[in-house]
This record gives sequence, C-alpha cells and structure tokens, in this order.
Amino acid sequence: MSPHGTRPARGTGDARNLDYLVAHLTDQLAAGPLGELGVRIEIRGEAILLTGTVPSAQCRDDILRSARAELPGHPVHCDIVVADNAAPDHAEEVE
Amino acid sequence: MIRIAAVGDIHMGPESQGVLRPSFETLHESADVLLLAGDLTRHGTLEEAQVVAREIKDLAVPVVAVLGNHDHHADCADEVTAVLQDAGARVLEGRAAVVDNNGARIGVAGTKGFGGGFVGRCAGEFGEPIMKEFVRYSRHRADTLRAALEELRDQDCDVRVALTHFSPVPDTLAGEPPEIYPFLGSYLLAEAIDSAGADLAVHGHAHLGTEHGMTSGGVKVRNVAQPVIGRAFHVYHLAR
Ligand SMILES: [Fe+2]
Ligand SMILES: [Fe+2]
Repeated sequence: MSPHGTRPARGTGDARNLDYLVAHLTDQLAAGPLGELGVRIEIRGEAILLTGTVPSAQCRDDILRSARAELPGHPVHCDIVVADNAAPDHAEEVE
Repeated sequence: MIRIAAVGDIHMGPESQGVLRPSFETLHESADVLLLAGDLTRHGTLEEAQVVAREIKDLAVPVVAVLGNHDHHADCADEVTAVLQDAGARVLEGRAAVVDNNGARIGVAGTKGFGGGFVGRCAGEFGEPIMKEFVRYSRHRADTLRAALEELRDQDCDVRVALTHFSPVPDTLAGEPPEIYPFLGSYLLAEAIDSAGADLAVHGHAHLGTEHGMTSGGVKVRNVAQPVIGRAFHVYHLAR
C-alpha cells in the first residue's frame, strides 16, 4: 500500500490554504475600495495578526471587517493603530 | 537656521477632513516651509484631493508637494495636481521650486520617483518591454530630479532639499520585508542626489520603515511617512 494511499494527491483540492487566502486578502485591501497597502497580515498558527498604522478608525474597522469576511474560521487579531495627528513637540537638528 | 517641516502618506479620504488642520495651523511657529512627500490621498480621486486642499489652504507657511503612487491610482494625477495647486501648493514632478519665507530661501527639487531597487539587488533594463519600461520610467524620474537640483545651484538658495515619494536609500526601509525593497525605492534617486548635491533628502512610501538614513555621498535622508514619524509632521533644522 502506498504511503499516500489515503490522502488526495498533492496540489489537488480547492487550494484554500491559509497562505493563499492571506495573499488574496492583501490584494483585495490594496486594489479594492480600501486602497490600503500599509497593513501587514501575518499568520500565527490558525490565527491572523493585523499590524500597521492607518489614517482613521473607520479604515481600521473596514480592514478588520474585510479580513474576517475573507478568512472565515480563522481568529483575526487586530493590532492596527490610527495615525497620531498631533504636532511634534521638538525638532531635529540635522548636522 | 532653516526649519523644514515634512510629512508624507497622510492618505486622506472624506472621513479624515480636518484631522491635520489644527496641527498644520501651528506651522508658522515651528517651520519655514511644509513639504508633503506624496500619498496624500487614498485613491487619487478629486474628492480626496479636495480634502487635502482644504487641509492646506491658506496656511501661514508655503507648501511644496510631490504626488505618490496612491495619488495616481484613479488615473487623474493632473487633476489632483491642479486641485492642490489651486489650494496654493507647489506640486513638483521633475521640477524645482524656490520658496522665500522668514528671510530663508529654500530650494526644493521634487519627483515622485519610482522603484527598481538598490545596488546589487535591482531591476535591469533588459528583456520584456514591460520590464524595460519599468526601469526606464524610474531612471527618467531620477534624471529629472538631478536636473532640478542642478537648476537650484544658481538660484542663491540657503538650502536645497530633494523631495520624493519613493526612497533613494535602503536605510530608511528597515522594518519593511527586504523582499519588497525593489518596490519601495531606487538607488538611481540617491545617485542623482549625490551627483547634483543637496542638504537633505525627504521621502515617504515606506510605512513600516525608519526615519533616518544617509546616501553614500553623505546626504541625510528622512522617511517622513506619517506612520513612521507618528506625528502630523516632523521638523528638521538645517544650518544656512
Ligand atoms: Fe503610502
Ligand atoms: Fe506610496
């Protein structure tokens, strides 16, 4: 009996591996209505971690919603922060 | 002393109207000019450009900008440029501008720039037409930056600044995955800056990068992408 007898052949199936799903989500965030290229999507076991800085809380919520819709069954953790729009309190002396 | 304020990658959309304006209104206290390093909008639409325009209109300091890749996404970069110019900004693509403020004369040479990568790890002008076009496009932008910086030489500027969206050096990309550096900048920009000379180079685009870098010719480089500097802008003091 072949050691592979009980498993489907490699490369067949519906290719819904998590890495491809993450790549598609990355594409969708960039080329879709969000136009967001500044978020990093990392795989942590079966879960997903989102990091980066976005311009608004609405952006962050939209990204989180897209990620959850695109990756059903995978917990999505969100460490995305919203950009700080405060004026700086000091300047840099450039030599 | 010359005071240069700069920020890039503010990625404004309708929901962000007004968020930067209060900080920008303090600029007359801290800076002589505001440089905008591209990716001012999210998709480069006119609606988004008008949000940026209202954010910078009638500021007490002159505004000089380049566009970023996001500002090209809707294929109407000329119209976006016109909206920003109507709000008083000087928008540069392969050109130079001189602004006089508070007795300081500041020369800015600007281009969006493009990718291609860095020495030993870069794309070459070889093979398929689309590959050659990619490299030629990047080289053309670097060439116009060099010409613009050279043009500023004879204009009696106190300082000359190179303003780009893409990065001239890999230093300020630290934090980004190394595999995507060729999409984040090109050494051709640094070569142009070093051959024509500049007192400072400012860029954006690399949201996960770091602020500080330097060209091999010794020109200080600052990545002012808003996610990197974590403020509405940063201010750099240059000696005359
Ligand atoms: Fe950006
Ligand atoms: Fe960009």
